[in-house]
Amino acid sequence: MTPHPHRIIARLVLAALALGTSALVPAALTTAARAASNPGFVLYSAQGYDHATVSAFNATHPGFTVTLNDNSTGPLLQQIQAEGNNPKWGALWVDGATAFAALDTQGMLEKHIAPSVGFNALGRANIPADGSYVPTGLTVVGALCYNSAAVKPSQLPSTWAQLAEAKYNGQLGMNDPSQSGPTYPMIAGVMNELGHYTSGSTAPAVAAGEAYFRSLAKNGLLVSATNGPTIGAMEQGSINMAIVQSSACYGAEINGSFPSIRVKYLNYSIALPGCFGIDAKAPTIVRQDAAKFLAWLLTPKGQHVMQTGDPQGDSLYWPVLNGIKPANKVIPPLSSTHAVTINPYVWGPLESGINTWFDKNILSAAA
Amino acid sequence: MADLTLAATEAVEVVGADAPTTSTAPPRTRRRLPIGAILVWGVLALLIVAPVGSFLALAVSPRLFGQGAQWFTLAYVGQAFQGATAQGIVNSLWVSTTVAVVSVALATGLAWLIQRTNVMGRRFWAVSMWVLLLMPTWMTSLGWTDLLEPYGVAHAVGLDTQGVYGEFFGPLGIVVVLTASALPFAYFIVAAGLQGLGPEFEDAARTYGAGRVRTAMTVLPIIAPALFSALAISFAETISDFGVADTLGYHAHFPLATFTLYSAISNYPANFSVAAVIAVVLILSTVPPIALQSRVMRRARSYAVLSGRTRSPRRREFSTRGRWLASAGIALVMGVALGAPVIGAVVGSFVQNLGDAVGPHVHFTLTYYDQILHPSLVDNGLGSPLLLSNQLGLVVASATGVLAVVLARRLVATNGGWSQRLTDVLLLGTVAIPGVVLGVGYIFFYNLPLITGHVVDIYKTLPLLMLGLTANALPGQTRFMAGPVSQLQASLADAARVHGAGRARAWATTHLPLMSRVLVWGWLLTFAKTLSELPISQILYPPSQEPASVTIQAYLGNFLTSTATAMTVATVAEMLGVIVVVLALYRLLTPRGWRRVGWSVVR
Repeated sequence: MTPHPHRIIARLVLAALALGTSALVPAALTTAARAASNPGFVLYSAQGYDHATVSAFNATHPGFTVTLNDNSTGPLLQQIQAEGNNPKWGALWVDGATAFAALDTQGMLEKHIAPSVGFNALGRANIPADGSYVPTGLTVVGALCYNSAAVKPSQLPSTWAQLAEAKYNGQLGMNDPSQSGPTYPMIAGVMNELGHYTSGSTAPAVAAGEAYFRSLAKNGLLVSATNGPTIGAMEQGSINMAIVQSSACYGAEINGSFPSIRVKYLNYSIALPGCFGIDAKAPTIVRQDAAKFLAWLLTPKGQHVMQTGDPQGDSLYWPVLNGIKPANKVIPPLSSTHAVTINPYVWGPLESGINTWFDKNILSAAA
Repeated sequence: MADLTLAATEAVEVVGADAPTTSTAPPRTRRRLPIGAILVWGVLALLIVAPVGSFLALAVSPRLFGQGAQWFTLAYVGQAFQGATAQGIVNSLWVSTTVAVVSVALATGLAWLIQRTNVMGRRFWAVSMWVLLLMPTWMTSLGWTDLLEPYGVAHAVGLDTQGVYGEFFGPLGIVVVLTASALPFAYFIVAAGLQGLGPEFEDAARTYGAGRVRTAMTVLPIIAPALFSALAISFAETISDFGVADTLGYHAHFPLATFTLYSAISNYPANFSVAAVIAVVLILSTVPPIALQSRVMRRARSYAVLSGRTRSPRRREFSTRGRWLASAGIALVMGVALGAPVIGAVVGSFVQNLGDAVGPHVHFTLTYYDQILHPSLVDNGLGSPLLLSNQLGLVVASATGVLAVVLARRLVATNGGWSQRLTDVLLLGTVAIPGVVLGVGYIFFYNLPLITGHVVDIYKTLPLLMLGLTANALPGQTRFMAGPVSQLQASLADAARVHGAGRARAWATTHLPLMSRVLVWGWLLTFAKTLSELPISQILYPPSQEPASVTIQAYLGNFLTSTATAMTVATVAEMLGVIVVVLALYRLLTPRGWRRVGWSVVR
């Protein structure tokens, strides 16, 4: 007897639903894992090589599982803030120290987590006194990327002050700090340097920086959301140079999307450490697991996975450990970048206000 | 998502005013516990009211969720009406109003041409309108960018787009893309309204000497309920859009409210309170169009034109020249709305060195598609995320379909009382809520220690993401179902019950055949929207279980735009493949009669 169409449809619907709800199985396993004796920890990360590192670690460390929450820096910090007093993150791994300084100030970070490894000078300079976060690598912001097919090296500026000169009118681009995580540290770094800030009030430094960015805006500065559109504008010929993150420029050159892009370093650039912090409110075992993962990242094996996980992007960093070399020959010696480090505990709390000022005064006035 | 067939609710409710009412409610003898209403409101509370309410409460009480020191303050209200946020609100209001008016005007013209004339390719245009409905605005923006950017697709084929580029990447382009996005919503509503309008009104006007324009001006007010429904829903859909605000709006330094809302919470520390104020403004802004629509609906009886004597609409026969001109007009509108961005995105994913002013010449490549299989971000390919997105789509579309039918029945019930009216207001207001508000609201509510410790601990799991996606789809899907549900006569099921059928069997043998097409199309719509949904997925997806949209966003964030475009094209192609398979199965498995009754995309 031929089954009635209703029954066929009912069976099909049930089969489809069964297939779909099989998606719940991993979720159930996740919940079950939480209840296990060692639940592992959830890593909130915005690093391009985080999938590779978590996979490699889990494959070689059977004691517990690192679960990855990969997202952009903004949404991750949004989630941490919204979770409030009921946090679900075990560790945070993103570029820039300012957010870590803010979390540390609120007592949300475990102290003294740096493992005993051979940090180089650069690494040591980016570990705070209370050891509440640890650099795992370093890029710089404020690298001057330029289109070598449109501008000769001899035509380029050599200092930040020269960028505001009339001969570079309409040629420069940068990112919006409200949209691009690494851009606020760059603006803060410029303010820090222009104001010769060492301690005390930041007001003079901020005023000097604001005047500088106003002069760039008057000189036809193009502000785009993130590295992608800024470099894209250079590729299309709308601008010829941009002050962005070093790894973005090297990535565009290596992946062939913009073969003529090159990088020049001005009289200073701003160090942007990729930082790792552990949730102080997490259970002890979670913090221990996160610390083990951090220790592994800072081994030659861990560094190798970091350097191969996103070969055209975040892997193009300067190592912070003695004996580890950059992943690609395109990366010059760090000394050539004239990188300076800003105090994230001073500049971090000013981020929201300065970003708002930038959007109101520079973004609206820029090209 | 929105109300495709509120017109069918309105057009049929309104137009059906003369029809005999078959849902005869028994006289009330005693008050019973409204278990149905309690259940429905329980579900709505968990899905929408509690999470969104948690977020909105932050507008005046940041301390409620540990986001500030004040239990009550109006400081953030003042902040939200300053500078860029105030500008964003003003821009959103005028853009949404313009888009609503333009899209309804266009939709009315298109619906009339496609339904009431002998224009060429009527079925094709109707299906294209459906495809347009499935396109996320961020993908449309991506396609236009690939097409018009300096040294982009248009330049590669020898077209100079420099002048157009500057104009398009500003308010003009924003209005064009948003109008294209609102167009199908307005079209399906107006088309359903026109369906019930017999030819006698046009004939009468022409008999008294009215020209074409005068005839149109005379006849169109008869479908006012559908037109105002289309206006309300186009406005709500436009004002809640984030895809265009984040791409074209940002690029043109033209802030829209959804973008300033996102900006308020994308900085660290996030300013959830200002974002909540903006969200409240977005929701309140839908009150005037909804009030206007309700005012028209209150006079429903005066629009009642459908009766047993209503004649089938007659097609107007254009002359050969007129037919060609009308067809070209439709092709132009659909070409701008759908063709251009699709061509831009598809070509962009197959061409290397696009947008490069000084590099080597552009050439065909499969590199970006190869990177889908061999991703440059190690262990971050599209395969697993796309499978997961399909699973999510399957579950969310099915759950939403069931809930939407239940809610739609309440929405069109003749004796619903306050519960019905509240459901109506809630579902319309929710359309204007950006996904990011729903997502963050879910964190606040479902991560409360009270909830995780004593009710349910599903934060950071797939079930919570499914709930969020269902909540996002439910308002639009419910209103989509409302029209067809309102057409069902209760006497059909009653007759089946009289003949001994149980409740389920009665429904399956009477209402299911009549609803089958709308259930299938509604399911497909939710499935497709779930696959392309980003804001909620990005906030709520469980660790290590990324949906496809989040993976694509990761590639965009890592400056791998062409790979991201190829992934988007592959995702949309897979989505269309699923739609074709489901429609083919429907055609193969259902009796012919099911496919000839009830609501349809293509008439």
